[in-house]
Amino acid sequence: MNKTIIVLFFLCCATSVIAQVPKVSVSGTMGISYEGYGLDRNPAGWTGYTPRRPWNQVRFNFMPNFQFGKNFSLPFNINLAALPTNFAGPYSGFIPGGPKQNFKQWMTNPVNNIAVNPKYKWAELQLGTQYLRYSELSTGDIGVFGAGFDLKPGQYRIKFFTGTSQPGINYFAGPPLPGITGAFKRNNWMFQIGKEKEDKYEVAFNFAKGKDLISSSAPPPLTIKPQEGFVISMITNVHFNKGWYVKLEGAQSVFTTDLNTASSLLIKSFEPFIKAHTATIRDYAATGSLGKKGKNFDIGISSKYFGAGFQTVGYPYLQPDRLDYTINTKLNTWKNKMNIVASLGQRVNNISNTTLKANQFIGNLNWFTQFNDKWSLNVNYNNFGFQTASGLNPYGIKNVSNDLGISPTYTWSNTKMMHLLSLSYNYSKYDERDVLTGLTTSNNTHTALLTYVPSFFTKDVTPDFSLMYFYNDVPMAKTTLATLSSGLSMPVAKKKVQLRGQLQYNLTKLNSFKSDNNLIASCSVDWKITKQFSWNTYLSTNYFKYGNSVIPAGANYLESTCRTGFQYKFDTKKNK
Amino acid sequence: MKKIIAIVCFMITVQSLLSQININLTVAGRPPARLSDWANRRDVLTLIMGSSQAVRFDVKIKTEIKTLDGTVIGATNLNTAKTYTPLAGASTILNALDVLPLENIVFTGKHQTALLKTGKLPADNYMICVQLVRVPDYAPASAVTCKTFYLAAYQLPTLMLPSNEQELNKSIAQSAITFRWTPVVPASTTPVTYRLLVFEILENQKDVQALRSNQPLLDKNIVGTTQFIWQPQLSMMPYTAAADSLNASPQKGKKFIWTIQTLDNLGQPLNQTDGNGESMSEPKVFFVIDKNVAGKKKE
Repeated sequence: MNKTIIVLFFLCCATSVIAQVPKVSVSGTMGISYEGYGLDRNPAGWTGYTPRRPWNQVRFNFMPNFQFGKNFSLPFNINLAALPTNFAGPYSGFIPGGPKQNFKQWMTNPVNNIAVNPKYKWAELQLGTQYLRYSELSTGDIGVFGAGFDLKPGQYRIKFFTGTSQPGINYFAGPPLPGITGAFKRNNWMFQIGKEKEDKYEVAFNFAKGKDLISSSAPPPLTIKPQEGFVISMITNVHFNKGWYVKLEGAQSVFTTDLNTASSLLIKSFEPFIKAHTATIRDYAATGSLGKKGKNFDIGISSKYFGAGFQTVGYPYLQPDRLDYTINTKLNTWKNKMNIVASLGQRVNNISNTTLKANQFIGNLNWFTQFNDKWSLNVNYNNFGFQTASGLNPYGIKNVSNDLGISPTYTWSNTKMMHLLSLSYNYSKYDERDVLTGLTTSNNTHTALLTYVPSFFTKDVTPDFSLMYFYNDVPMAKTTLATLSSGLSMPVAKKKVQLRGQLQYNLTKLNSFKSDNNLIASCSVDWKITKQFSWNTYLSTNYFKYGNSVIPAGANYLESTCRTGFQYKFDTKKNK
Repeated sequence: MKKIIAIVCFMITVQSLLSQININLTVAGRPPARLSDWANRRDVLTLIMGSSQAVRFDVKIKTEIKTLDGTVIGATNLNTAKTYTPLAGASTILNALDVLPLENIVFTGKHQTALLKTGKLPADNYMICVQLVRVPDYAPASAVTCKTFYLAAYQLPTLMLPSNEQELNKSIAQSAITFRWTPVVPASTTPVTYRLLVFEILENQKDVQALRSNQPLLDKNIVGTTQFIWQPQLSMMPYTAAADSLNASPQKGKKFIWTIQTLDNLGQPLNQTDGNGESMSEPKVFFVIDKNVAGKKKE
């Protein structure tokens, strides 16, 4: 509640400051939009297709940046949604008609963002929900609602932030199903101290911690355990002459995967930051890259190591226990008419040997050549392989993927228009070995796309046409898909209104079943009412009718989306 | 005289047997790799302690973890172990929290290092041996009972296609997008379900914020294979033509984030204490762009 008062206080201060100071410039945007979704399924009662958007949603954004003179700025970042639509994560299950969230939960729900960052010269105050990225191994993915600062006196860097990344949410079995996953309240803090000279070097130490409060939810979540984690890292980035650079980061994490477990003296604590339990683990991670960036030639080597026990609360989806190394290169040659981008790498999973070791090979190549004014060719090749030992099974896992794409493009023009004709063909082969029988299943896909785009020199109409053929062949299933699509874009009403439309027809055939038919139509109308004020509307409808590949035969659905919104662009500088 | 000696011997034997405690140990063949998780699941380890009326002493549980060649890699520190008082003539049921209290088990060598780092032992076959000992002399109070088990931590899938920040051609992606990922390692004894989730990243949203707050456009359960071809049935046309729009400009197209949630045969997350606790693989983002528009802008 105290944090809320602080935010409101700042909003009031900002308003009063704006009222008092006459010379103020504002940039940024604000707006409101409505999104409606409809789904009509036939025959009545058929549930073979489920809704995939909220039925109604209103979103509001307020993101102005008030600039007072040269040194003081007050940027707001407020994005709100009227209805929670959380699906993954601790908030998952908040659905219309279910239990309501309280005010604190609403404020810290990731669907909403309320933040203001007043800045005076090198000092920035950070209030509200902030997605702060200190480094690759410490913290960066999670939004935290709280308060902190970012100070940059001279070449020094001092950052601190503390707050709540999720409030306590009680487990709720439902109905309505699926109920609410629930969560423990998690408090976080993070701190960085370092020195930086832009485009020269950066050295910094990062500290980040998060801890769940066990008593914060009743009943507690069924599948989520209360956790505590602390990470310390050091980053060193150096940029040399002629484009050479070195970037390094090393980190150690101490993480308790279940705070309900007993305290342990056998495991070393990292006090005063974290006390050991029997479920506490401690491991290391490191990243490094070395390379050269140039106008026509880039080359770089990068490597990442994550120990099996490396976990941070700042990157909850990070996959540990792996070693990646990659070589990347980019080359522009032949007077910039040839462009080659390639990468080659390997990933080794289970370096700790807590599970079977798995090797992945990854290779990518993209080669573009502009032969002359008319002809160009793009070739790309992607490969990855994945292999493990057999373990308890008779055979190990072995998956190999190969993709080859060739895309020639031809352009020609006359005095009135230019034509672009592009053909793209892609062959994809994916082999999977069964660990019990040793038999390999091949999954082959052919994709061909023909695109024609005429551009008129004297008219504002821009149409495009495309035809796609897709064929996928796996044992027991052969799928053919053909798509015809056309789009049109044009300004009207003295270019104040931009119209765009698209029509797409798909025909899908599975084995010997009757074909499925699909028609998608969409359009958008962007009306620039004034220089700052615009009204954007988007409509889309999707009609799908099955042949007899599902029961009941002939089942169909009509899905429609409507989005309309007003947007105001602050831009006092240009007005003056 | 011989008869008297025989009777005395018989009585001593009977008394000795009566003062022994029968134990019955059951252990899951493939328990969770993280040893601290054993205490959360009652089906992992059960020890039934049945004592006769003659038992009038306290006991401690002596547990040893061994490799299959008999090398002891972890054992109970009896000095700090909890004391139990068997109920005379009744059975007591204990679980992993009592039999394998990690705060009292001392591991050695590389196994200790692995456990401290990861909470797991190296993937291998192991044996757990349990015996009750009297307090305070630690004399055997039951026979030694052993069971074997296999430990291997599941490693969640890595997302392969679309690769991170890959730009897909709108004309193809509006009809079909191919998703590929690596399988769970090691292959599970029961079928796992890969739940493929795709979220649209809306304007002004961060990548992971979209994953944690939006309704997915695709929520598909896939069993037995690591590829799925999605027919999005979406107009990939951006919502607005505004070029300054963050995630929805004609050049950038639309932006999506996808992940795989791996579920066991009961529909529960496979690894509940690793990372996010939801068994969600590290997500990746991809763009669907109009390559013709993007190409023109570049020119």
